[in-house]
Amino acid sequence: MKMKKFASVLLAGAMVATMAGCTTTTDPDQPTTPGTTVTDPANPSTPAADGEVNLTMWCIATESDSNRHSYEAAIADVTAAHPEINFTWEAFENESYKTKIKAAVAADEMPDIFFTWSCAFLGDFVDAGRVYCLDDAYAKVKDELPESMMGNSTYNGKHYGVPLTMNIVGLFANMDLLKEVGYDEIPGTYDEFIACCDALKAANIIPFGCAGKETWCVTEYLESVIEKSVGYETLNDIFLARATWANPDVASAVDTFQSLVVNGYFDPAGDALTNDEVKANFMAGKYAFYMNGTWNCADFAANDEFFAKVKVGEFPVINADKATLGQLIGGPSDTLAVAQSSPNAAVAADFTFELGRLICKYGYLDGCGLPAWNVNYDDSAVNGLTQTVASICAQAKGYVLFGDTAMAAGDAQTYLEEVAMVYGCEVDGQTFVDDLASAIR
Amino acid sequence: MKKKITNGINVFLFLLPALVLFLVILIIPIGLSTYYSFQDWNGIGEMKFIGIENYKTVFSDKIGLGPAIKNSIILAALSTFIQLPISLGLALLLGKGIKGERVFLSVFFMPVLISTVVIGQLWLKIYYPEQGMLSILLSGIKFGSTSIEDLIVNWINNMNAKLPIPKPPYTSVPWLGNTYTALACCFIPVLWQYVGYHMLLLYAGVKSVPPELREAAKIDGASDGQINRYIVIPSIKSIIKICVIFAVTGSLKSFDLIYVLVAKPKVADVPSTVMYTQMFKANNYGTGSAIAVMLIVLCFAFALIIGAIFRKED
Repeated sequence: MKMKKFASVLLAGAMVATMAGCTTTTDPDQPTTPGTTVTDPANPSTPAADGEVNLTMWCIATESDSNRHSYEAAIADVTAAHPEINFTWEAFENESYKTKIKAAVAADEMPDIFFTWSCAFLGDFVDAGRVYCLDDAYAKVKDELPESMMGNSTYNGKHYGVPLTMNIVGLFANMDLLKEVGYDEIPGTYDEFIACCDALKAANIIPFGCAGKETWCVTEYLESVIEKSVGYETLNDIFLARATWANPDVASAVDTFQSLVVNGYFDPAGDALTNDEVKANFMAGKYAFYMNGTWNCADFAANDEFFAKVKVGEFPVINADKATLGQLIGGPSDTLAVAQSSPNAAVAADFTFELGRLICKYGYLDGCGLPAWNVNYDDSAVNGLTQTVASICAQAKGYVLFGDTAMAAGDAQTYLEEVAMVYGCEVDGQTFVDDLASAIR
Repeated sequence: MKKKITNGINVFLFLLPALVLFLVILIIPIGLSTYYSFQDWNGIGEMKFIGIENYKTVFSDKIGLGPAIKNSIILAALSTFIQLPISLGLALLLGKGIKGERVFLSVFFMPVLISTVVIGQLWLKIYYPEQGMLSILLSGIKFGSTSIEDLIVNWINNMNAKLPIPKPPYTSVPWLGNTYTALACCFIPVLWQYVGYHMLLLYAGVKSVPPELREAAKIDGASDGQINRYIVIPSIKSIIKICVIFAVTGSLKSFDLIYVLVAKPKVADVPSTVMYTQMFKANNYGTGSAIAVMLIVLCFAFALIIGAIFRKED
């Protein structure tokens, strides 16, 4: 009987121990490779032996991301320059990363360095006291990184993010298709632009490709139309909650955008397509225009056959009384930040600036975006599309950051849902502004 | 007396791991979700107690939970009245002991073993507008000069023409991009994936029916259909009940396949996708938690109702 009791206690104990075993963390001595996590997630950065420092980073530069090469090259350079730092990094798919990083911040289990989007997205983390202030580290590199580029990650006068590249929304055009309807250049005025779209439609060429399945792609069109109708200052004020959505000019601009939809300029099949699919269709010659981020320049330039056909320009001005060319959608958004909980936060801060500078450099040279940092290297090999974007930005009068980045998460979600309804012809411009005015403020 | 106490301790010790698991995996998270559902919380910062405000939001039409629950109930009905009869038919057929029984069992069960995300990716290709397998197939089946694809396109265009601002007509069906076809398109892979799961449960029941009963019925002159109707199906009623509960609660909880296939909010939303949007996109953890609590209550309620219906039948 005693034996039976002993056996039962032993078995039960073993089962409990097995359960407890499920929660033990991985062996920190296990060898590390990019794409794998081996450190204790509750304490990702731990002092290593012999004065070495362990630093970890999460980002979204997955194998298929056009920024992957710039991250790899930058990390190779910076780790070679700092042999005392054991650096491991992990990349996640964009959408799932948004959830992952929020959960990590909520649990205060962030890596030492993490990729984030600036403005409201990073702002929530800063408000919660989870992000390390980078003022001291920034002071050391101020000459190379203009204060204007730090604006989107500055809160209450303190700097919390290292900007990488900056991008704008570009109007990409397949010039072979435009030539078929008699245009050698991207139309410069809105009337010419509409005439061009009509000519394309008459020739059975779809003017615009847009991924209706990913509403942020619709905003690339809508925000450009609003900005070129009401001016960048008005749109900026609305996005940054300094003005109400209840603006008749914005309602009218939304109607203008919707008229493009109703006139059949967009591919109706785009409702069920992702951005990758639409981009592939554009490169395959299905659409004449594709409005999207200038980070696409790298992928377009990498395809020799398509690169010869594509040009990038600026969306034309719709209301010259309020808007001008040079008013752009975009700005520095891709950012690296340092966790407040990192035991090596000061080291991580310096390391992040160095890494950010190099990612910016390689990203620019690859054509993934424009440099947020000063250029003090030979950039003559940058692809022609990115150079065109650089010249557009050189003439910039003002920027409005992407709406879903500029606004707080809840507001951004409401905004995206309303944009989807405008694109789906469920609401008109007036209803759009009324709904947002009541829901957001 | 001592023996009884010792046995009691043994029973408790053996149950302890399961109890700990039950508490850690089920009860504590439900408790926490309930707690969060009364808070205004963005998931990161300070929480603020707001009483039942989140439940008021959930029951208002602000976040679109009503249409999402309606979609879930449609899915549950389709699962119960289409998926389960197919599973039962297959189970009865295979349970008869046909040639290649084991092979068919494995083939039908195989989709259950495949990751839902992989299944979603496969079906995304099938549903691709114009060049997808479904569009090509339906364009090829014609009644006179009109294909099935054309009929569906015309129907969607007619519906869109009734919108406040008429949409330009589609030339092919955006299967996953419109509210008219997206939900049905989500159900077909669900049916394909889980028909084998229910079939296996029912097959085990069918096999447990004593062969003597079948033989006796046969001697009395009963046909296969009569044997199934009057002997096999009544014998496996408890398993059918379990399958109905799984199908209904599974439909209420469905998330992954719809998330992969549709992605866009308000096209084929179910409560879980609304909860995900509220929690992880809008940073409304309180509202998301209130939806989670509601889902738990709904699942329990449906399980009890189904149980009661079956008891009444008995």
